[in-house]
Amino acid sequence: MKAKILKALLMALGVNAALFAVFFFDLDGKFLFYVVEPTLKKHYDNMPRRDMTKMPYEMNKPNYEYNV
Amino acid sequence: MRDLKHLIAFENLLQEANNELVRQGKADGKRALGYTCYFMPEVLLDLPGCFAVRLRAPKCTSPDMATYYMSSRTCHYGRSLFERALEGGYNFLDANFGTETCTVTCRFQEHLGYMDVIQNPDFFVTFTDVPFKKNQNSIAHYEGQLQAHVLDPLHEKFGIDISDEALMKAIDLHNEISAVINEIGDYRKLDNPTITGYEFQVIQLCSLVCPKELILPMLKETAKELKTRKPDKKSPFRCKVVLAGSENDDPEFTKLIEGCGAEVVCDRHCYGAVESRAPIVVKDGEKPLTAIARHYLETSNCPRFMPQDIMRERKQRLADLAKEYKADGIIIASNKFCEYWSYERTIDTIVMPRDFGYPVCSIEKEYINGASGQLRTRFQAFVESIEIKKIQEGK
Amino acid sequence: MKYDMKALAHDFWYGKPHQERRLGDLYIDKTGLYKHREWRGFKDTMYYFYNIWMYNYAHMVMDVVRYGGLINFAKGVWRYRWVGQTYLPVLHWFDRGMEGMRGEGLKASAWHYRGMVNATIFQFQRMFSSDANLRGGKRNYRWHHNVAHNETVWGGVFYPWHGKLTNVPMEMIPYFVTCHVNSHTVLNYIDAVQSIGLPGDPCPMCQAEAGLFVLDDMPDYAPIVITSNEACDASVSTSILQDWFLDKPLFAMPQPMQFDDPLLKKHCRDEIEQCWKFVEEQTGIPFDWNSLVKCIESQNELQKFEWEKWDVAAKTDYYPVNGVAQSLYRIYQSQFGDLPVWHEVDGHVRKILNKCVKKKINSFPETRHRVLAWSCAPLYYSNWCTWAYNCWGLNTVMNMDSLMFNMTIRTDSYDHCLDDMAQYHMWAPMRRMAVGGMHHIFECWKYMEEFNCDMVMMYDQLQCKGMQGVHGLFEDEFRERNIHAIWMPHALPDSRTVSRMEIRQIVNDYMTTVMHEEALDPTLLEFDDSMTW
Repeated sequence: MKAKILKALLMALGVNAALFAVFFFDLDGKFLFYVVEPTLKKHYDNMPRRDMTKMPYEMNKPNYEYNV
Repeated sequence: MRDLKHLIAFENLLQEANNELVRQGKADGKRALGYTCYFMPEVLLDLPGCFAVRLRAPKCTSPDMATYYMSSRTCHYGRSLFERALEGGYNFLDANFGTETCTVTCRFQEHLGYMDVIQNPDFFVTFTDVPFKKNQNSIAHYEGQLQAHVLDPLHEKFGIDISDEALMKAIDLHNEISAVINEIGDYRKLDNPTITGYEFQVIQLCSLVCPKELILPMLKETAKELKTRKPDKKSPFRCKVVLAGSENDDPEFTKLIEGCGAEVVCDRHCYGAVESRAPIVVKDGEKPLTAIARHYLETSNCPRFMPQDIMRERKQRLADLAKEYKADGIIIASNKFCEYWSYERTIDTIVMPRDFGYPVCSIEKEYINGASGQLRTRFQAFVESIEIKKIQEGK
Repeated sequence: MKYDMKALAHDFWYGKPHQERRLGDLYIDKTGLYKHREWRGFKDTMYYFYNIWMYNYAHMVMDVVRYGGLINFAKGVWRYRWVGQTYLPVLHWFDRGMEGMRGEGLKASAWHYRGMVNATIFQFQRMFSSDANLRGGKRNYRWHHNVAHNETVWGGVFYPWHGKLTNVPMEMIPYFVTCHVNSHTVLNYIDAVQSIGLPGDPCPMCQAEAGLFVLDDMPDYAPIVITSNEACDASVSTSILQDWFLDKPLFAMPQPMQFDDPLLKKHCRDEIEQCWKFVEEQTGIPFDWNSLVKCIESQNELQKFEWEKWDVAAKTDYYPVNGVAQSLYRIYQSQFGDLPVWHEVDGHVRKILNKCVKKKINSFPETRHRVLAWSCAPLYYSNWCTWAYNCWGLNTVMNMDSLMFNMTIRTDSYDHCLDDMAQYHMWAPMRRMAVGGMHHIFECWKYMEEFNCDMVMMYDQLQCKGMQGVHGLFEDEFRERNIHAIWMPHALPDSRTVSRMEIRQIVNDYMTTVMHEEALDPTLLEFDDSMTW
């Protein structure tokens, strides 16, 4: 039981230290900046998109006026 | 075509705000009331005892002092008006009736109120709030605003009669002027018009900047003259266009367009006759002020209106005008830094050709444009594209 | 090399004193990333690590799960540029805003950011979980129970449907918040709308709001739309294009401009009531007065606390909230309307505020000048004030946009409530000062006095016609009143017009040539952050 607790504690410490390293050396920011964002940008730039200027423009729209 | 008898006189009247007829009106003891926007009902400023002067700044190409106050990143029209005011060009005004409708002209008019610019001890400025819709609530609101910020101050400060009878007189005068202007303007609907867009714009502008009673005789004579004016055997123009857009009080701009071969047969812009010369109809049992408020909201095609049906209706209106005046295309010209028309022009440029079959020439202009080579090139190209389109359609 | 162990130990535990921090040395050239995050002393670094960094990452995941689930989130990230490109680096937004901060100031400011993050996730998850674009055009229950509106429509208008309908502003998350978190995203939208012919001079906020639609980057999450004329001509005009691209039932709810005029109230009331009728008609869900009262009273509590905060900011040196947290939180909270997270945040901040006042804790001890920031702020450099404090001791105590919506709303009767709602509605961001007469924008002097400010940071939004139209008079007034005013040119969300570096240079020049002062941290004077978020 004690060994299990010790093991759990050590693991928690390890995770904590790893997270602290990520935090302190701004590894999350670097990962996002150098890897994630460029990948996503490439995806967005190449996505097929509708040509919104082809949207219809109907003339007959209701007049929303109410008695208040 | 034979020259119009009073054209040079009309052109001279447009050279300065305090022109000969304005001076005469002042000498007759009337109050000169300035305004900039269609939403300030001209008819109210033409009540007996006063006359409306829609503000212009002819030939103002370099509004340096105004640019200090309003920066170079605001509409040249608003700055030019302020420049002219700083120069003393509007010292004849007894009051300015402002509307908070477009930001830059509003700022100009706020400067008039804030600074001691107009050298006239009687001078004052008021502001009217203008609704963004045309419904009953808006008409009632607008009517209340006009009563409080136009009629009441006129009465309190200058003793102007603001009774319903006086309003009816002003409406009658407005309708009389409108009838004459429309009579003149209708000649543009002919297959071979007997009046050019430039000539019409000069006449229309004079009716906006001069006391109505003093300009009316010359207008009537011009209308009579046009009854017998013969067009040139071969029209010098290659196509007809509607000129739509924002503020435009520079006839040289119209002359530039027509010099490129496109006859301006309809003027759907802020200083045009399409709205400003529609007759005011007072319904049975309706108060004159209510009729006026209703009229100025219902006739306006300003992009400021926000309801969905009204936004869309504007495009239909433009197409209807093009059809009515037998236009081949539409020139949409907005002043640089005019935000309302920047957006409206963007959508019109796509939707008008796509949905209504009218080619559009989309232009951003300065306040004074007569010498622009770039614009000339654009208009020439537009005219040629219309001609090609006509050939392809077998016309 | 000999080390002063005592000094090292002191710096390890307490963090370096302000003038020795050399914060500029932490930046990786051009990127704005850190070689390593700041060591703020043991306590504050651990606080930042556990209670800000980890806490917010964990809560962001929890919020995503709670408000719509990971699958919807993933679909949204994959589909919409403004999520994926912007909101993943949100902790770096915290970093930029909190640079150099310690103690109670760090805690209080971070809580404000936490509130905004929660509200942001709530909104975009609501969009994604309703989005017909992500469902092959299918409209689900949530879609039918949402209302879309311009971000400048006050969310409180929809209080009568609280719990039955969810109002989500169209542009707040895709546009407004993105500018602060990642300034590059919005450039795509500005370029897109210009590509269809819009000139480059209208307000870039309005350009971007239209450009979102041009690039087909707006979720389809609601059956109806409410628009507004707030704040300006370009906002009105934007709805011309938005209407076209949305093609849904649209109700325009403009506010009067000359809002001091008592004659206007009836008109404004009528517009709000007509909007309510539109919502009832289109959704079939009736107006609920009790719901309105409950939400208004809850919102009033937020306003009252805001006044308490301003009191402390104006009269003492113990206000623990930095300039960027103050302004962003205030705009967000008051514009969006009542949410549980605002009360939670205010609860935390109240404790901190009370502690600072009681124990006379000055969170900004290096303050040399108390600054009032006036006019529209540069969204892409909202944390300029954090830099300005760290570099020059300029403490931005209050800003113009915080001062709008500056009232509580009565709930004792329908008439009083609607009257006050109409007034509140007209006192919206930017327009409260920028329209309705020049005397509003010149309230600057009154607030300088009220907040004991000796300096003005005069934002100079180059594409704002309203503010450009009073530029000269401000110059005259600053001279006449002998006020130290730094003009900060910018283009709202568009960093290409005036870069952050240029903004810093302008401040640097003023502080050296006019104020004859030395920088507190010279490493912050000049650095290249051209690619930073």
